[in-house]
Amino acid sequence: MRASWRETLLSYTFLAPALVLLGLFTFYPLIYGSYLGFTQYDGARFAHGLGPKWVGLGNFRTLLADPLFLTSLWNSVKYLLVVPALQFASLAVAVLVSRELPAMPFFRAAYYVPVVTSISLAAVMWEWVYNRSGTLNWTLKALHLLPQGAAFGWLNNEHTAFWAVMLVTFWRGFGYYMVLYLAGLQGIPEELNEAAILDGAGSWQRFWRITVPMMRPTILLCSLLSTIAALRVLEEVLVLTNGGPLNSTYTALMYVYSKAFQGFDFDYGLASAAGLVVALVALLLSLANFRLFRDADGSQG
Amino acid sequence: MSAVTRPLPRAQVRTASPRKTLRLVLRYSLLVVILLFAVFPFLWTLAIAVTDKSAGVNIYDFPASLFPRHVTFQNFVQVYQTFELGKYIWNSVSITAMMVVGTLLISALAAYPLARFRFPGRQLIFGVIVATLVLPGETTFIVNTLTLKGLGLLGTHLGVVLPTVAGAFGIFLMRQAFLAVPASLLEAARLDGAGEFTILTRIMLPLSRPSQAALGIFTLVTSWNAYFWPMLVLSATPDKMPLSVAVLKLKGQFNYDPFNIAAGALVMMVPVLLVFLLAQKLFMRGLDGAVK
Amino acid sequence: MNPKRFARLFALGLSLTLGTAAAAPVELQFWTWYLSPKFDNYIKSTIDAFQKANPDITVKWFDKQDSMVQDFISSVNLGGAPDVLNLNIDETAKAAQNGFLRDVGGLTSPALLNATYYPQSIKNFTTNGKVYGYPWYGWLNEGVMLYNPDLFKKAGVTHIPRTTSELLTLAKTIKDKTGAYAWVPAMKDPNTASFLGYFYSEGLPIYDAAGKAAFNTPKHAALLQQYVTLYKGGYIPEDVVRREAFQIATELYTQNQVALIVGGPQALTRIKDTNPALYAKTAVTSAPLGSAGVQTGGSMDLVIPTASKHPAEAAKLAAFFTNNANQIAFAKVVPVVPTTRAAQLNSMFRAGGADPIAKATGLVGSSGRYINPGYKAPTNSDDLYKNLNDNVEAALLGKKTAQAALDDTVAYWNANMKK
Repeated sequence: MRASWRETLLSYTFLAPALVLLGLFTFYPLIYGSYLGFTQYDGARFAHGLGPKWVGLGNFRTLLADPLFLTSLWNSVKYLLVVPALQFASLAVAVLVSRELPAMPFFRAAYYVPVVTSISLAAVMWEWVYNRSGTLNWTLKALHLLPQGAAFGWLNNEHTAFWAVMLVTFWRGFGYYMVLYLAGLQGIPEELNEAAILDGAGSWQRFWRITVPMMRPTILLCSLLSTIAALRVLEEVLVLTNGGPLNSTYTALMYVYSKAFQGFDFDYGLASAAGLVVALVALLLSLANFRLFRDADGSQG
Repeated sequence: MSAVTRPLPRAQVRTASPRKTLRLVLRYSLLVVILLFAVFPFLWTLAIAVTDKSAGVNIYDFPASLFPRHVTFQNFVQVYQTFELGKYIWNSVSITAMMVVGTLLISALAAYPLARFRFPGRQLIFGVIVATLVLPGETTFIVNTLTLKGLGLLGTHLGVVLPTVAGAFGIFLMRQAFLAVPASLLEAARLDGAGEFTILTRIMLPLSRPSQAALGIFTLVTSWNAYFWPMLVLSATPDKMPLSVAVLKLKGQFNYDPFNIAAGALVMMVPVLLVFLLAQKLFMRGLDGAVK
Repeated sequence: MNPKRFARLFALGLSLTLGTAAAAPVELQFWTWYLSPKFDNYIKSTIDAFQKANPDITVKWFDKQDSMVQDFISSVNLGGAPDVLNLNIDETAKAAQNGFLRDVGGLTSPALLNATYYPQSIKNFTTNGKVYGYPWYGWLNEGVMLYNPDLFKKAGVTHIPRTTSELLTLAKTIKDKTGAYAWVPAMKDPNTASFLGYFYSEGLPIYDAAGKAAFNTPKHAALLQQYVTLYKGGYIPEDVVRREAFQIATELYTQNQVALIVGGPQALTRIKDTNPALYAKTAVTSAPLGSAGVQTGGSMDLVIPTASKHPAEAAKLAAFFTNNANQIAFAKVVPVVPTTRAAQLNSMFRAGGADPIAKATGLVGSSGRYINPGYKAPTNSDDLYKNLNDNVEAALLGKKTAQAALDDTVAYWNANMKK
């Protein structure tokens, strides 16, 4: 049912503050930033007060010819593997802490701690875990999973560094999405669960047959955010490995960062072009995400 | 009624069998394991922050540094005094408060029509809003600082807040929450003669409290920890800087005192965690009393 | 009084009043790097002294951390650029090449510059024949060697190493006998501390006569191979591929896991803070040198951005802060090396003492004339150094031979070095 004239006016009135602010401070700069991707805007021009110089597809040609950029893009795409793991774990933990049992608020707050922990301090601890003589190897040895003398630093070789950093991202993220899922769980009517219990359904069945389908909109939101975040991983990598070893953890945003923020040899044009490529990939993935979790939009009046 | 607030009906509790106890023990064991996984860096930071450094402790001496023998609050005092944290804490509170209130208001206002009205241009606007999540934001700061300069807002807290207060995330989240409200409630309200604004404030907002609380928490955390943008906007007025920027000073080349760094980090982290603990009640409360 | 005379007097009086009125107070913005709050007192008192001597200039001081360069670049765009900025050798070169800085020789006479600072220090900040900075405090990469005498004793080391080749053999001895690493060489450190520094200290050239990169001769490869062998044997900490050697060294030293550190005395300040017991028994002596017998180092400087609106006054401030008296005063607060000529004569650097920091200061304080990066950094250094570091990493991890790694780097440099 199409909105009436009155409803349309009201809609736009309500939307006005958001649209004005978004337009001025988000959309306009983003358009400008995208435009920059087709220009050369480096330190030399900047210092002399010159504006960006149009170079068409020149930056993109440079990017495609730069093996480091291609590697970084591939690494960022590989990073998407963290999304399903993270989402499943966050939802499971949310369900775990959703009952009002003793000490639950304490656990919930504790799981949120990684989200607010300063990454540079957390990095010192994680380095200790991954050290050759650190906690992880110690645990593996205790469980007899590591043969004698085979210990190595998990961050110091190109095979394991990537997964090690990914685990840190997982650690930082699960509390974040747990909160979103907790909020979403509020919308599931208690009766459904009760009826299922009376029917003899186990918790695993209830999880897959009731919780997950009812949480569809929240899962869509969270996986969308998680996908975009995974593509744009930067902080953990900067702090733990600085892109190495052998550029195995060098992500797409590290490339953008190195072209935009590392001193006087910058080129905002090239950085923006790289950012645009990442944005394109993110856009495609977001569309795929929407398709996958086609939400119940529009079916309610 | 939500799946969370009502305790198990009496009947079921009475039949607590050994199996039930086992499940409870299992549940709590799992919770504790996850707990350790989540908080071990925090515990280490805490341990160092209260360590009495005059005793000559080596912070990298694991696991001994986790259990300091001499405990003191001197590090906090030192950090507070040397870095004049009081002023910066106030700035952080001011900026964060504006951000949270602003974000909640604007997101709710914008999400309502997007969720409930089929007005022309709806799809386009929603698409544009989602697109802002995806487009590269690395160079937006250049333009925004110039815009703020033009508006005379450089060096003010408002200038820090305005560009980021209308965010796609908040609108998206509130829209999801609003979509979950049953249409029947709205029909009933309209039949009763309620105006749209009344519907928004009397029905939509109360029913979406958990999402609002979540949005509030996220905005609070992001704003409290943000340092790049505030640093840029306030670079000429350092007295107005938030705490997140001030603690950066703790880690300069000549300033390497890990005990103070840890104390500073805790000062940043603890207020947020406390708010989170308190705010939990908000997003766990459910829909009691809101449904007529 | 005759009218002509009166007119002249009147004109004189008028111009005097107008003259002083025209010297309206100038406010300068002064940005330092990483100096607050530890050196607040020193900076503030120096600024006070300057303002007293120049009553028509006020100085507004800001200290910046990691975001220094980024903030500066933004400020150029926004019109709030500082008048005096604190940079180091590499950043000054990059900023100058991109046009962000003023030629200092135009503000202070070259003769005065040459008389005040060491010739090498001035050279450090010269790009394309023009001087872009006032040399400030510096440090030597081979400044001092500080070591843990207990670990030395345990390893049975009686001869203190005097050359880098002795250090390399010591790596095996100490690790085998004590389990601690001997020292942490800089394999992949940023910019001026990159591996090329080791070529330089052994007298191996970086560039050939035509200015092209030429560090891939068999001699170069052999030197790199020595380090690769040590790494593979576990005699150098694995973390050197990931982190700065200086950080690793200081951390591990305080845990008794590294026997010695070669570098500037700044390490001592950190050790004093984190492990005072170890600090007290740390021995300090001069650093071992490579076969070329040269030292390398870096220094900070004060530059005048092109965007500054008061270059003349800014020059006064910069010159004041970097003059001999003030650099010596700074060296009294923290063991830095002054870059002024007169410093080498200062008696403060002849003293010594039992305190490690005092001893270290005495050893390096008068050696400012040796501060030089050793070789000219290439123009687009970020890009080229990353390639070098990636190749060195590949050699360390066994993906390429040392020779192949250097060959690839040289090829990349010569193909991409910007003029």
